[in-house]
Amino acid sequence: MATTDDSAGAWFGSDGQVSQLRGLLFKAGCLGATLLALFLVFVFLVYVAVDAIEPGTADPAWWATVAATVAVPAVALAAYYYRYDPRAGEVAYTAVGLPIAATLLAGGVGIVFRHIVSPHEWLALVVAALVAYGALEVHDRVRRAGAFERAAIGAIVLVVTIVGLPGLVPSLRSLILSLPVLPMAPLSLLGTFVVPVALAVGWYVRRERESERAGLIAGGATVAAAALGAVAGPVAGVSWTTWLILTTVVGVPVGLYVERVLSGGEGVSGLALPVALAAGVVVCAVVVETAGFTGPDVWLDWEFLTNAHNRTPREAGIYPALVGSVMMIIVVALAAFPVGVGAAIYLEEYAPTGGLLGSFVELVEINIANLAGVPSVVYGLLGLALFINAGGLQPGIVIVGGLTVALLILPIVIVSAQEAIRAVPDSQRQAAYGMGATRWQTVRTVVLPRAMPGILTGTILALGRAIGETAPLLMVGVAAVVRISPTSFFGLFSAMPRQLYSWAQLAKPDFYHGVLAAGVLVLLIVLLMMNGTAILLRNKYQRRD
Amino acid sequence: MTQNDTRNVDGDDEQRTDGSETAVSEPTTGSDATSDSLLDASLDVEGGTVPADADTVIEARDLDVFYDDVQALEGVDIEIPENGVTALIGPSGCGKSTFLRSINRMNDLIDAARVDGDLRFEGKNVYDDDVDPVALRRKIGMVFQTPNPFPKSIYDNVAFGLEVQDKADDVDETVHRALERAALLEEVEDQLDSSGLDLSGGQQQRLCIARAIAPDPDVLLMDEPASALDPIATSKIEDLIEDLAEEYTVVIVTHNMQQAARISDKTAVFLTGGELVEFDDTDKIFENPEHERVEDYITGKFG
Ligand SMILES: Nc1ncnc2c1ncn2[C@@H]1O[C@H](COP(=O)(O)OP(=O)(O)OP(=O)(O)O)[C@@H](O)[C@H]1O
Ligand SMILES: [Mg+2]
Repeated sequence: MATTDDSAGAWFGSDGQVSQLRGLLFKAGCLGATLLALFLVFVFLVYVAVDAIEPGTADPAWWATVAATVAVPAVALAAYYYRYDPRAGEVAYTAVGLPIAATLLAGGVGIVFRHIVSPHEWLALVVAALVAYGALEVHDRVRRAGAFERAAIGAIVLVVTIVGLPGLVPSLRSLILSLPVLPMAPLSLLGTFVVPVALAVGWYVRRERESERAGLIAGGATVAAAALGAVAGPVAGVSWTTWLILTTVVGVPVGLYVERVLSGGEGVSGLALPVALAAGVVVCAVVVETAGFTGPDVWLDWEFLTNAHNRTPREAGIYPALVGSVMMIIVVALAAFPVGVGAAIYLEEYAPTGGLLGSFVELVEINIANLAGVPSVVYGLLGLALFINAGGLQPGIVIVGGLTVALLILPIVIVSAQEAIRAVPDSQRQAAYGMGATRWQTVRTVVLPRAMPGILTGTILALGRAIGETAPLLMVGVAAVVRISPTSFFGLFSAMPRQLYSWAQLAKPDFYHGVLAAGVLVLLIVLLMMNGTAILLRNKYQRRD
Repeated sequence: MTQNDTRNVDGDDEQRTDGSETAVSEPTTGSDATSDSLLDASLDVEGGTVPADADTVIEARDLDVFYDDVQALEGVDIEIPENGVTALIGPSGCGKSTFLRSINRMNDLIDAARVDGDLRFEGKNVYDDDVDPVALRRKIGMVFQTPNPFPKSIYDNVAFGLEVQDKADDVDETVHRALERAALLEEVEDQLDSSGLDLSGGQQQRLCIARAIAPDPDVLLMDEPASALDPIATSKIEDLIEDLAEEYTVVIVTHNMQQAARISDKTAVFLTGGELVEFDDTDKIFENPEHERVEDYITGKFG
């Protein structure tokens, strides 16, 4: 009877309808708002993309060729998957997306090895870390020491091997670096980058397949493919180092995925999409070349990615700013993650909750939440005062920019980590305490593992915000144009948003249309990748609860 | 049960003082079949496995517990003997879980909770300053009212206590034995690596029991450990409890009178208001309680 107001009529038919007019209006309003938002974003993206690609400069025949060889087959396949084989569709999109994402990641790894830690330095670091680990193990074997002694030994070993005492004891790392002969760069990488990855791959495959042999093959294939680059690299026109990074960062995940799909036997036809796309691109290139169709004059091309800023718009590129952004994000992550997560753990798990102290803690928490809303210019000022005026650091260097932006996202990291920790059900803590766990054991074995996906998601989203911040960089004197990529964390740098800002101010329309648009696209793609990672992470772990 | 009933019972209670024996024999007249069977069940108990002079291991003296201004326990006096099963029964919300939590200081984790009075474990007031609640909880294990396994593998769940308490010798063997005693091993033997959350509610409850007994505590507090179990699993758990009681002290909260009658040596009846109304040998409580309110409660007239 709950659905009818009028008890006289029938409870069904026209008499029995409950008015839903208000509900329908509300629904339409919400839909309108959604569509408006999507439409505005879409228009903006199209506008930027048109500026960056300039489709009008191409022969219509060129577009026709692209459509016929790449677009039509792809759309046809997508329609087929949608209609007949959704599982294959999933495989298809992963098989296309994975190589693209992995290639971008490989670019990042390449930048790291080129500008941040040279292969030799990496070699020295890895060897020193191995020695440190070995020393700790040996110490553990020899005597079963208490936690305090272990920590002390660990600290000493780390200092001796990696840090050294400035002016007194050189570290093992610097000793290795000063050796007269070191293996050539690609060989160092093969030993200290590819081999660990291969070990991890072998271990993973062995566990998944429960087969020793499969693990050995996977690991061996990884090393073999990378080593092959000594010969194959020059033939393909890339350096051995590039080849090596590509095979480990792109080849390994793609190979594992394809192998899993093939052996699983489910949705195998999905692999047709990437194959069709690749074949389409090749055919298209051949046709365009032989028929002499001119393509569009795109701004976002390889030169744009690898060049520095230049007075001629066509020559201008974003590379140093890209490197600067990557280095800055490393500083931001290293600074904001431990501090933010540490603060969140303290506030949630340790801070007093009752009495005067409890009220104080509550006040602090409210203020942290407020800090998340403070305009970024203010953080720029704070960075200027703190690091440059008080700390005496040089304006415009990577570490200053990174720390300033880290301050900016710190409240966001804290608040999101707090939320993730709070989402761990109290019954879990009770279970741990009830088993006689100490607070530290509870936090370490129960709370953190469960909160970690949420913490990581929040942190990645915050880093996404960090990579786009411009105002604080202006305040701490980040240069408008930097033509050489920074080589250390204390070098001058420019970041992508800062570079975009200076392009927007140049007088030539080519800059504030084409170059700027290409830069915006690059920034957006990087952002999309980061947010995509965060979302994947969240979805993967959400399903488990 | 309504507010009125409670008051009536309270009224009766005051009149009781002179002739409790007579008052007790009457109320069964109006009772239905269930209460008859209850009394039957209680008759089957092979009375008093606990020697009368058993040592007291947990002793409460005038124990009050408050949640902010609400008093959940009022002046509880109880002496729980060593090596035996003590059942706590009473209507919902009368403070059974609260009492259980105050034994191993789990109330410390609730900000609002405040404890007054003495609670002695092996003669030592557990609320003294020099008592480490973590050490206390390692001696007094607990099974919670709602199953709360960790999102870890079944094996890791059971091994958790061993790990945090640093009882590292022969973890494998201990885990298997704990699962076996909790009547779960058979069902999960070949999926020890799968998540504890993938088990059914009743299996989770037994997993939590296995987890609690694995590190071998002296006292086991169980808050309705069989509430989600079928009769077979329940009887296995009851066997386990009887088995445990030979070496350990078990304190168990249950809403199932037959269960209390079957497995416990001593029974404590809490009634609304957080009062411990009667505490005695189980047969005495079920056959011949001192208080009319208790009689009413266990015969199902009230609560
Ligand atoms: N964390 C808490 N905060 C505030 N009040 C509480 C809290 N836990 C219990 N109480 C109150 O204390 C009283 C006793 O609760 P308790 O959980 O001990 O009852 P119980 O006898 O175990 O009931 P049940 O049989 O339903 O489990 C109730 O009135 C309840 O509202
Ligand atoms: Mg309870």
